[in-house]
Amino acid sequence: MDKKILLVDDEEDIRDVLDISLSDLGYKVFTAKNGEEAFQIFRNVNPPIVLTDIRMPIMDGIELLQKIKKENTDTEVIMFTGHGDMDLAIKSLKYEATDFITKPINDEILGFALERAHERISMRQRIREYTENLEEMVREKSARLVEVERLIAVGQVIEGLSSATRNIVEDFEGGITYFNELPCLVSIHNRDLKVVATNQLYKERLGDKIGCNSWDAYKEGAGRSAKCPVGKTFHTGKGQRSKETIQDVNGREVPVIVHTAPIRSGESDVELVLEISADITEMNRLQEELRTTQQRYQQLFDEVPCYISVQDGKLRLVATNRQFKEDFGDEIGSYCYNVYKHRNEPCPDCPVVKTFESGKSQQSETVVTSKTGEQYNVLTWTAPIRKADGEVTQVMEMSTNITQIRRLQDHLSSLGLLIGSISHGIKGIMTGLDGGMYWLDTGIEKGNQERIEKGWDVIKLMVDRLKNMVLNLLYYAKERDLNWERTDVLSLAKDVASTVEPKIKGYSIEFIHDFDRSIGKFEVDTSVVSSALINILENAMDACIEDKSKKSHKIIFSVTQDKDHIVFDIHDNGMGMDRETRENIFTLFFSSKGSKGTGLGLFVSNKIIQEHGGSIRADSTPGQGSHFNIRLPKVLPDILKSKVNKKAQSLTIE
Amino acid sequence: MQGIASILINMHIIPKLKERCVMAKKILVMDDDPTTVDYLVDLFNDNGYETCFAYNAAEGFEALKNEKPDLITLDLDMPKVAGPLFYIRYTKIQEFKDIPVIVISGLHVPHRSIKKVVAALEKPIDREELLAIVRNTIGEGSSD
Repeated sequence: MDKKILLVDDEEDIRDVLDISLSDLGYKVFTAKNGEEAFQIFRNVNPPIVLTDIRMPIMDGIELLQKIKKENTDTEVIMFTGHGDMDLAIKSLKYEATDFITKPINDEILGFALERAHERISMRQRIREYTENLEEMVREKSARLVEVERLIAVGQVIEGLSSATRNIVEDFEGGITYFNELPCLVSIHNRDLKVVATNQLYKERLGDKIGCNSWDAYKEGAGRSAKCPVGKTFHTGKGQRSKETIQDVNGREVPVIVHTAPIRSGESDVELVLEISADITEMNRLQEELRTTQQRYQQLFDEVPCYISVQDGKLRLVATNRQFKEDFGDEIGSYCYNVYKHRNEPCPDCPVVKTFESGKSQQSETVVTSKTGEQYNVLTWTAPIRKADGEVTQVMEMSTNITQIRRLQDHLSSLGLLIGSISHGIKGIMTGLDGGMYWLDTGIEKGNQERIEKGWDVIKLMVDRLKNMVLNLLYYAKERDLNWERTDVLSLAKDVASTVEPKIKGYSIEFIHDFDRSIGKFEVDTSVVSSALINILENAMDACIEDKSKKSHKIIFSVTQDKDHIVFDIHDNGMGMDRETRENIFTLFFSSKGSKGTGLGLFVSNKIIQEHGGSIRADSTPGQGSHFNIRLPKVLPDILKSKVNKKAQSLTIE
Repeated sequence: MQGIASILINMHIIPKLKERCVMAKKILVMDDDPTTVDYLVDLFNDNGYETCFAYNAAEGFEALKNEKPDLITLDLDMPKVAGPLFYIRYTKIQEFKDIPVIVISGLHVPHRSIKKVVAALEKPIDREELLAIVRNTIGEGSSD
């Protein structure tokens, strides 16, 4: 494995730290402090993996990414992004960055990303080997095809041969030996319709017939007379072709195709006749073989798990296989870029064009759009098809659909993140539990009531976190439909408040509720919306607990309404969030709580609110506090209801 | 005078006085999780060490300057500036570069850039093990 790696960051410290990490992982590390410097190094050493920061002076990471991809599309480029750089991260993915890692860079996550990059490299290698083997297979098959066709041609060759032999057989005694090598029964006859010479095979199959009648070899019938092919040839002076049946030395009947050719001694008279009989059973066998080979070839062409097309110099489709027709339609004669990419002009860096130009195979990875509008990631390989003089007349393009593999990879990487963040969260909770038990133990030992209480509170907090983490995970893991009903807003709000109130007051945080008493009912899945509200209230509580700057804290929970919506507001005067945090709180696996958060809570809450057709918004000032605003429709949109009803119906039918 | 001194030495009074005069060793606890900080601070205080703490790298630098700790316990996974980077930065400063560090982290392996690490403990930590390492590094805590 090529362990070269290029590391690009404008901060010297970060380069130092990562250089050490990467060297420990066995990489030969090249470093650069901006895109320009990096691209120079890239051209010299061509590393398979590049790690680059996005924000850099002179040439930034996005520009570097584009340049590298243009130079060598196989390069795995991993981007570093800040939490606030989501747009840049998405932009870099658009330019085919392999992955991105958020700063600060965690060694473990970097390790995962590198592993994934290596998996991609080796996968690409494997697919390439596979397509190359396929090429080999196609080559072998076509070689055999040519071979069989050659054999078939023998029949025709004989026909031409018989006329060409006239000159050779001037001296028939010597000439006949030429025919000993032929896989046909060759004989020469005189005007008296007697056999005068035969080749070796004739002797072996039919016995020594020299001096016999020309028709003796044939089975009983009309042919066994002066009207036999040889007789006809003398009579008409022209070569004959007919199907006859002959009898071999063992009395077995053999169907043959008989060709005859007159051999003239002088100007006009036919002096001798050359008769060549080819065994039809052998011909039939050869023809059958050709047919099955052709069929197999077609089958291979159709059944390989690739899209195969043959294109002419104008990039028009000349032939396509079944897979291609299935996903892109039967578009013979259309332009490749039109069918594959729905474009009106050739794509830049087209591998087929390059193959026409260079006569060499090309490989590339791209995204194509099927006739139904689905996007597929494909790995493309091209091969030139040449005329005998070497000119490339057509190009065969094979594209392997690797969309599934890509999807699986994305899924696996989010799963990896999930597991990483959970194990991290659990370690944090376990440390907290250790702390709680320590205070409890030493409190009891010293008879210190305050410590006992502190220990007990921490243990309760940690158990709660553990519970929430497990509940969130269960929610994340399973798809569920809304289980809605018309519910009294006030009673839902009171239930939520009474769930969190003891905990909040336990931390000496003031808890104020302000409910509109005339608010009525709304359509809602009570259990999930309650848990979302509880989650946000508990976040508010955590923000207050962790804020050391103020003496007293309070949380205000209010419920109001406008025309179509029920509006929940949760204010706290806790530690607040900076902009970066605020913009990312609803992102999966984002957590501002260091070792304590799973990055699932608000992601799940947001998902719940959105499933109701509602919205959730967060404002905050660092050090001042936060405000969450949740709006839920009073009446659920029909589309959300019908989904549930359909399910209910299908259940009743069952 | 000399006689009295020797008597005092024999009675183990001077060593004890000396111990009292020497300021208790101070440990800087760095972790972004307040519960963990609270726990470690109480644990070290209970065992006779002075403590100061920091929730992030910026506070960590403040504490280095103002508190002059004898030992640092460092979480590797703090927001903004990760633990390894904090280490790299402070060890570049002549005044602080020899302060021993114990890594306490949720990560499996300590970052190799932290070369002079005294020990690396994975969360959840073994309390006695931690105290033993601290004792070996900066000595016993003061008895009161």
